[in-house]
Order: sequence, then C-alpha cells, then structure tokens
Amino acid sequence: MSNLIFESVTKVFGEGSSKYVALENINFKAESGQLILVVGPSGSGKTTFLTIAGGLQTPTEGDVKINDSTIKSLSEKQQTKLRLEKIGFVLQSYNLVPFLTVEEQFKLVDKLKKQNLTEQKMHELLSDLGLLELLKKYPNQLSGGQKQRVAIARALYTDPDYILADEPTAALDTDRSMKVIELLRDLAHKRNKIIIVVTHDLRLKNTADKVYQIIDGKMQMIN
Amino acid sequence: MFLAIKEMLHEKLRYSLIVVLIFLVSYLLIILTGLATGLANLNKAAINEWDASSIVLNSDSEGRLQQSFLSQDEVASLPNNGTRISQYSTLVKSENGLKENTQLVGLDSKSFIFKKLKITSGSKNIRNNAGVVSDKFKSDGFKIGDHLLVANSSLRIKITGFTPRATLSALPVVYISPDTIQPLNKGVTNAVVFKNKLKNSKIPKGTNQLSISSFIKKLPGYSAQQLTFDFMIAFLYIIILIVISIFLYILTVQKLPNLGVLKAQGVSTQYLILSTLFQSFIISVIGVIIAIILGEITAITLPSEVPIVIDKSNIIVTGIGIIIMSLLGALIPIRQIAKVDPYKIIGG
Repeated sequence: MSNLIFESVTKVFGEGSSKYVALENINFKAESGQLILVVGPSGSGKTTFLTIAGGLQTPTEGDVKINDSTIKSLSEKQQTKLRLEKIGFVLQSYNLVPFLTVEEQFKLVDKLKKQNLTEQKMHELLSDLGLLELLKKYPNQLSGGQKQRVAIARALYTDPDYILADEPTAALDTDRSMKVIELLRDLAHKRNKIIIVVTHDLRLKNTADKVYQIIDGKMQMIN
Repeated sequence: MFLAIKEMLHEKLRYSLIVVLIFLVSYLLIILTGLATGLANLNKAAINEWDASSIVLNSDSEGRLQQSFLSQDEVASLPNNGTRISQYSTLVKSENGLKENTQLVGLDSKSFIFKKLKITSGSKNIRNNAGVVSDKFKSDGFKIGDHLLVANSSLRIKITGFTPRATLSALPVVYISPDTIQPLNKGVTNAVVFKNKLKNSKIPKGTNQLSISSFIKKLPGYSAQQLTFDFMIAFLYIIILIVISIFLYILTVQKLPNLGVLKAQGVSTQYLILSTLFQSFIISVIGVIIAIILGEITAITLPSEVPIVIDKSNIIVTGIGIIIMSLLGALIPIRQIAKVDPYKIIGG
C-alpha cells in the first residue's frame, strides 16, 4: 500500500519584508485507491503543495514522505528518478511533447526508463481510455480532452504510485471536465493509485473521495 | 537521442535552415582555406620540395633571397655539403611567343636539392644551357625541347624536363646550372641551403642562418597574405559559433515550457543537454559534409589559374573545427536548459 504524507510542512518564499508564507503547517495523508481534490482560489498555495508533493521543491519546515521515505534526504538525481518511476504528472498545458506522436510519447518514457513495455501495455492503456485510434497523431491534432486523456495515459504508463494533476480540467468544458475527473477516479479505484488533483473548479468536489481546501496557505479537509 | 532525432525530423524547416547556414559558412571556410593553402603553396612549393632544414643568407638581407649576396669567402667557409643557390627573376619567352614570368634558380647538378627533384616528364639534365622547369610551363603550353629566351639577354635555355610543385614567390622555377645563370647575375651566390641545421660556430661572420620555416615566412608578401587569410578564417569560425548559438538559443527558449515539464516528469537535465549537443553535432556534420562535397566540386571546376588546394588534412581540420565550434555554440542553450526550473514552468 502506497502513501504520501505531509508532516507539519511549511513553505516560505523570500525573506524580511518580502517574506511570503505559501504553505503553513500542512498535515496531510493520502493512501492508495483515493482520488483527492485540493481546491482553493488562485494564489492560495495549491500549486506549491503539488510541487512539494512531486519533489520539485523542498519544504522550508516539516517533512514529506513517500512510502515512508523522506524526499528531503534524496539527492537531485534520486529525486529525478523518483519522479520518473513513482510519480505521474498531469498538467494544465505543455503536457505532451509537441513533436512526438501519441505513440512516441510512450516510447520516450521507455527510452528514459530503459524498459521495453511498449506495445501491449500502451495499447491496453490507450484502449481503456478510448485513444487507440490516436496513436499516430501529434498533440496539435488532438482536442483538449484527448490531450488530457493521453497525458493521463502517459502518466499511468510507468505504473507510478501516485499521480499529481494540476488543473487538468482548466481548458475543458463542463462535460469533458467531468469525464476526465471520472476517469481519474476510476483509475484511482481500479488501479489502486493515489491521485491528487489540484483545482479551483468547485464543480468537481462531489467526485472525489476526499476534498481539501487551501486558503492563504492553510489546509483543511472539507469533505 | 530519441528526443533529438524526433524533434529534428518534425521541425525539418527550422533545422534545415540552420544546416543551410552552417553549410554556407563552412563552404566559404573551405574555399578560403583552400585558397590560403593554394597561395601559400605557390609561394613556397619549390622550397618544400628542396626538403632542407636551413638556409644561410647575408645578414643584411632580412631573410630575402633576392637581397642576399654571399661573398666567395663566406661561401668557402661554409661546409661544402650545402647547395649554393643563385637566383634571378626575369621574363622568358618561347620561340612561338609564349611568355612566362619566372624565377631562374642556379644550382649544381650534384647538389642534394637537384638530386631530390622529381621529374614528371623529360629528363633531369641542366648541362649546356638546359633547364628543368616547373610543370606550370607545361600546362601553359611549353614542351620538352622548347627554348626559353631570357628577356634582356641572349641566353636561351632548352627545356629538358618538367618538375612538379616548383613555384617560388608565386612564380614558376627554372632550374639551371651555375654556369648558365652566371652571365645574368655575375656569378653571385645568394644563399646556401643545408639539409641539416648548422652549428652556430660554422656560420661565418656577416651571414645568418634561418630555418626553412622562418625563411618561408620572410618571403615577400607571404606572411601578410597568410595572416589576412587566417583572420578571415578565424572570423568565419566565430560566425559559425554565433549562428549556432543564436539559433539553438531561440529554439531552446521556445521550448522551455516543454523542457520544464519533461524535467518535472523525471527527464534528467543531462539527457536534455545531451539531446541538444547531439542536435548541434548532427546539423554541423550535415552542413560540413555538404560544404566539403561542394567545395571539392568547386575546386575541380575552377580554372587552373585559381590557386585553390583542398587537401585531406585541410578538410579534416576544417571539419573538426566547425564541429567543435557548433558544440561550443550549444553551450549557451545548454545553460538555459540547466537553469529551467520545472516548478516555475508549472506555475508556482
């Protein structure tokens, strides 16, 4: 069973008069099989939370643990490896490499991980997400919803312990947003993943297993 | 290098433009290097063929053969294994009206220089007003058995053989005997050339020993000409460096958000840097190969009056130089890649 734990995490930017507390004393725990929504207005600290969870930043105080191991103790190289192998990112934009076809997006992951899973696993994933016919398409030939589904498939391809999604529905209409979030929830439940979605879109809050709210750097569970 | 190759194949126009630019500058570089080598050879080819190490000239000659006059005593006090050189610049004409500016070089037929001379046709005979002449004469229409009429003199030199790579200060050489040149230069010995370097104790007062490379540098106009070419060539290398830097920098800046996301997704900075270096290497290799092919074709098609020499060593040095410049040009974009902070791209 995978887990992601924030222990009294505080993140401060700047010093003196320009000091800004982005996150304050956050305690948070996520376990496999959960879709967790983190909501809050712009500038509340959501993305800071996500980037710390993804090992892209280190907390000023406190600790972040993945499967009971502290991220802080890892070297930059180990953190890069961790992101490649344990974490899947789904972002609002620039998700896909523009000059690679859908199929090549997966091959890139293979090359980086020096693995050869490709065909069968890729086909299974794309088939599950209804994307099989898009294999030879470039990102600019896909709709917003298709791009996000491909990004989700790619994030899942390495079989990560958890997926971090930053505003994955921001560019989508309500119908497509609901489809993407339902897809994420199904993946969390069926594939036993931790999926954390950071969003300001409150329409999504009834779809998640847990909902946290961040306001002015302080986090509380609201659902 | 999957990412690098895929990007180049997808962005064919952008990368083709860089290849075209590298090709154009490389082509110019190869042509200039060829001209520099060709002109240098025109000045010094005969001296290189002598295969000597040093030359003794008059101290006041500033290393110039034409300005050097050695006395009989000075020549006599030098070791006798040297080749005495008498030189005279003049115009020669054939009986059927062909003209050629030339360097007459008087030397002994038993000297090591004469023994080393190669013959492309005819025989190696300089007795009785005969001469072995540069094969430039041959390409200009002179034939074995033709007589060269020396301007302002009654001397007639019979061509007995042609010798390759025999030009001195950009003029073709006519090798003749000391007796033949005597009426023209009053029997003056301009210099003595040695196969090996002499000990200073053996150099008589009033003379000066120069290495052959120093002597070549002092040939009239040689250093100025070569420095001019060196300057242009160095400048072209800098242009290649700047062109590659600017293009790769712009391309890198345009894809910074993607690079940031790739980093967030676990792609190492090292991988992204190697991709950029690989791209830089590939585009420069393609540009250089096209430039070499067209440079060779140009050298073949240019009229023989154009002194261009594109030899293997020049191509290797130029090619490696351009590729190194291209890799150096990738350093600025590499710095950008190393600095990309995925956190900032994601929007924290």
